Amino acid sequence: MLRRLVPLASRGASAAPFSSAATTEAAQEKKPTIWKIDEKTRDKLANFGRYAAQCLPKFVQQVQFAAGDELELLIHPTGVVPVLSFLKGNHSAQFTNLTFICGVDVPARQNRFEVVYSLFSVRFNARIRVRTYTDEVAPIESATPVFKGANWFEREVYDMYGVWFNNHPDLRRILTDYGFEGHPFRKDFPLSGYNEVRYDPELKRIVYEPSELAQEFRKFDLESPWEQFPAFRNESMAAAYEKIELNPTEKK
Amino acid sequence: LEMSSLGNRLLSFRSLSTSSRLPMYNNPYIARFKERSLVSDGHHKKSTGLTGLFVNEHPHRSLSVVYSRILKALGQMPKDYAYRTFTEQIVKRRLALVQTETNIQELEQKIGMGQIEEVIEQAEYELEACRSIVESKAWEPLVEEAPKNQWTWPIA
Repeated sequence: MLRRLVPLASRGASAAPFSSAATTEAAQEKKPTIWKIDEKTRDKLANFGRYAAQCLPKFVQQVQFAAGDELELLIHPTGVVPVLSFLKGNHSAQFTNLTFICGVDVPARQNRFEVVYSLFSVRFNARIRVRTYTDEVAPIESATPVFKGANWFEREVYDMYGVWFNNHPDLRRILTDYGFEGHPFRKDFPLSGYNEVRYDPELKRIVYEPSELAQEFRKFDLESPWEQFPAFRNESMAAAYEKIELNPTEKK
Repeated sequence: LEMSSLGNRLLSFRSLSTSSRLPMYNNPYIARFKERSLVSDGHHKKSTGLTGLFVNEHPHRSLSVVYSRILKALGQMPKDYAYRTFTEQIVKRRLALVQTETNIQELEQKIGMGQIEEVIEQAEYELEACRSIVESKAWEPLVEEAPKNQWTWPIA
């Protein structure tokens, strides 16, 4: 196992076989559950991200890597249909599989909702995420003309967050109860909801009543006094997203 | 009596060809697409092996039609547009291959993108993408920069 490592002479370090670099690499090889980032596929994805930004300059605001290996395209909300049909149709992209559409609620932002489309290319075994933003009122163009499978995903985003989709064939609630008011996944919607349902034996039917919790909501402080991630002591919190430079040489 | 009829059916079961063997149940998918999935006997394959993708007996004709439509759609975009130049390169290369190679299997090998029906499907998706880009004029500069803290994470 040690023979596979870089020869010690080229490293110029001490010849001790149990130097820290050797042990971490050996430890990495013993952890098959940790994802190994393949540099070649990462470069290919970075190239594709730059190519997509070059092909769609009107809509692509930023291209980044999340978690080292996952390509993300951040686009303007008016560009949902052109970008998705480009990704599906282009011969060097062929992201024909829509994996999921989901929403994100960040109430502090001006456009609080984010809509995330995840695509997969069977031909090239590659994944990409497309993210747009909107606020509570502005609608987003539906992706159903491009991907038929977007139907129920968009219904779910509408039901849970309240994001309206234009030109959707059948936009209505999908997970909440008939006549349910409110959008449950929003951050200002309480955990146990506003109404509760119970069976009333006198009226012999179910009744909806404002929820009454037996105890006040308790917020526990579950932080442990010991440091949790000693290996990540010096990492910055924003290190997860690495922006891809679109024009690396020209701007300088 | 029943045992003997069962024996007869078993004997005749193997002697019948695949097409006239009794099916296990009536598959409504097969019934609906029976006509579309018929392939003439002279063709080298009976099915693509992919559900929903039916064998195309004249792929050269379909491919040249779709590629010429793509080129026409690309003609409506500005000449210096990256998408136009790259896609024109790919489509012209494929069109040249289609026009020179008449054998279907050789053509599939040369294009290298799976079966010829899949290549036709890719071309159709590309055509839709071109039309969508022409409609939305995606070559213009950025519509609107994102608001200041839209993409920052963590928020603070």
